[in-house]
Amino acid sequence: MRILERPARRALAALDALATSAYGWAWNPLHQTGTVAVAMLLALLATGLYLVLVYRLGAPAASVARIAADPWLGAWIRSLHRYASDLFVVAAALHAFRLFAQRRSWGPRTLAWISGCGLFLIGLACAWTGYVMAWDTFGERLAREGARLFDVLPIFSEPLSRIFAGDRPVPGAFFFVNLFVHIVLPLAMGIGLWLHVSRLARPTLLPPKRLIWAIVGALTVAAIAFPAALGPAADSFTLAERTPVDLVAAWWLPLSERLPAGVAWSAALAALIAALLVPRVTRRPREGSWAPSHVDPRLCTGCNQCPQDCPWDAITMVPRDDDRPSLVALVDPARCVSCGICAGSCAPMGVGPAGLTGRDQLTALRSCALTALGAAVDSPIVAVCCAQAPVTHVAALRARGALVHQVPCVGNLHSSVVELLVRQGAPGVIVCGCPPRDCVGREGPKWLAERFFNEREAELQPRVERDRVRIATMAGGDLRGTLAAYDDFARHVAALRRPEREANVELQAECAPPALAEDAS
Amino acid sequence: MSSAHRLARVASAAVMTIVAIMALARATALPLAYHPSPAARLRLSFSARPERIEVCRTLSAEELAQRPEHMRQRVECDGKFASYRLRIDVDGRPAGESVVRGAGLRHDRPLYVLREYDIPPGRHAVHVTFERREQTDDDAEAFAPAVAVGADTGIFAGRAQREAAEHARRAEAAIPKRLQFDTTLVFAPRRVTLLTFDAERRALRLFGAL
Repeated sequence: MRILERPARRALAALDALATSAYGWAWNPLHQTGTVAVAMLLALLATGLYLVLVYRLGAPAASVARIAADPWLGAWIRSLHRYASDLFVVAAALHAFRLFAQRRSWGPRTLAWISGCGLFLIGLACAWTGYVMAWDTFGERLAREGARLFDVLPIFSEPLSRIFAGDRPVPGAFFFVNLFVHIVLPLAMGIGLWLHVSRLARPTLLPPKRLIWAIVGALTVAAIAFPAALGPAADSFTLAERTPVDLVAAWWLPLSERLPAGVAWSAALAALIAALLVPRVTRRPREGSWAPSHVDPRLCTGCNQCPQDCPWDAITMVPRDDDRPSLVALVDPARCVSCGICAGSCAPMGVGPAGLTGRDQLTALRSCALTALGAAVDSPIVAVCCAQAPVTHVAALRARGALVHQVPCVGNLHSSVVELLVRQGAPGVIVCGCPPRDCVGREGPKWLAERFFNEREAELQPRVERDRVRIATMAGGDLRGTLAAYDDFARHVAALRRPEREANVELQAECAPPALAEDAS
Repeated sequence: MSSAHRLARVASAAVMTIVAIMALARATALPLAYHPSPAARLRLSFSARPERIEVCRTLSAEELAQRPEHMRQRVECDGKFASYRLRIDVDGRPAGESVVRGAGLRHDRPLYVLREYDIPPGRHAVHVTFERREQTDDDAEAFAPAVAVGADTGIFAGRAQREAAEHARRAEAAIPKRLQFDTTLVFAPRRVTLLTFDAERRALRLFGAL
């Protein structure tokens, strides 16, 4: 399955670029598929509340036909309900695809992946029961297929399919149970959603308000312009030649109908097992770039910043086992995803995944970018780029004359790196991160801006001219935006005086906490 | 961002949104074939209690006395539930044949029949038989009043009669040993004709026929 990650990543990049070129990275809905799915759940709850009030168990088809015939309220609310359910399915599927392609489906994210699979299945089941409620030809088709599938399981003594045989009216109990399940499943989704985000610190559940309203508005326009189809009322004595089929929420139906029930169950079970095994088969050894963060207790001052910044609640402060009065940070490897955000949050550079702590970043900088910077006659602007950035964008910056220094994520960029660059003569440093809602470290761009411009620990020191530092967003599909941001910064920097290059800048020593007696000895 | 660029982006966003909405609306109501063939359908659907085939014997007064009081049943039966052969012929040609048993591991639950046969539209002779496979007759004689009406006294008074009545009631509730349906029907395209068991008339009954 891991061999699928690379093509999936390429496909995702192409999709992202397409959506960004159309909407811009700030409005790109593909960056917010998870939150869009939650927003659609809320839209479903709101519209479903109205529908359940006017729905009649005793005459399901007639009541839905009456709702659909009401042009002022019922028709568009019902259509909005349906389109929201379809968008939920699309958003949830894209969300899973994104996390798979970005290798974010294993390790501490396993619980989120598995609960996400459960939420997706519940969503499909909810759509199934919703269509059956309408009791048109499509609803009957779904009900009959469901009955056929369940009849091969040793659950019901009387075949469910007999409900629709026609020798008696479809019992009201059937519609009652269907409605009950349709209402209970969203409650189960609430629990599943809680599980889904339970390992996240500060989970973002909804897209920005303007995006929510834009999506709901677009769906409402769709609901008015293209009212959801409603087939003829179900009739046990008529064989419909064709029915309208929702290939989004009931994509499985044409497949299932062509298979014997046992084979259909086996295929579904195999697909479910494959989905649940994704965290297992895509996991990496927890070493190298996948190693969890570690804390150097000699450097930890107990400032409590890394637990606040960790997007995964993987760090806690515990009593020290030496004589120092402060607490010391402790990383839980089972919760750490190796995002490295903590490395950027630690002023004394004492925490982070192996090779990514602030000290490691300075070492890497000295061995590469600083050498190039020192060798240049006319010091270029340094572009610190996220490793996830599109290759074409990085190449374009190089072509503009920028000295590119890549880091795994701008969220774990220690402010000392930027300080060192400026003090070593870089006329300006532009940090190009991913769109905030597409950061693999979840909160990288947010903490970066806070540290650089709002004095969040470990802040960029006041001695660094803020005019020489800028943060930009580098999103696939928006090369023009990236270059515009760079060009604007270059013009701004050109107007500043020439920077002075300081000699012997030793930031590690400056950042180190005062040594204790036992350390000194 | 220049105003021209902003305008182009708004236009591209609008176009992509409209395309996405239209694709969504189309994909949510795609007319897909369900019953593409114009064939009609004969549906057999009913449920009933299978007959209990028993060998019964009347216990003597001595045997009864040896039993605990709450287990003193005058007639004791041992047996199984019947199975049935269902056969459908259309225009003299067999359309289907199967064995029907009661539900449950011991086949002691009601039996359920749901069979569907596609039949070309038009007039067709339909012959359905549903008959018990087991040839053994039940041991009804055991419930004959071999014991004098006054033989059981006290709290057991009328026991043999009550048992016989209960046995008769259960036999009455079971589906008959043989059901037959023989007629000529006109089948309309894509219409379902339903043949079911009418428990009151104790016969097969037709719904939806032209």
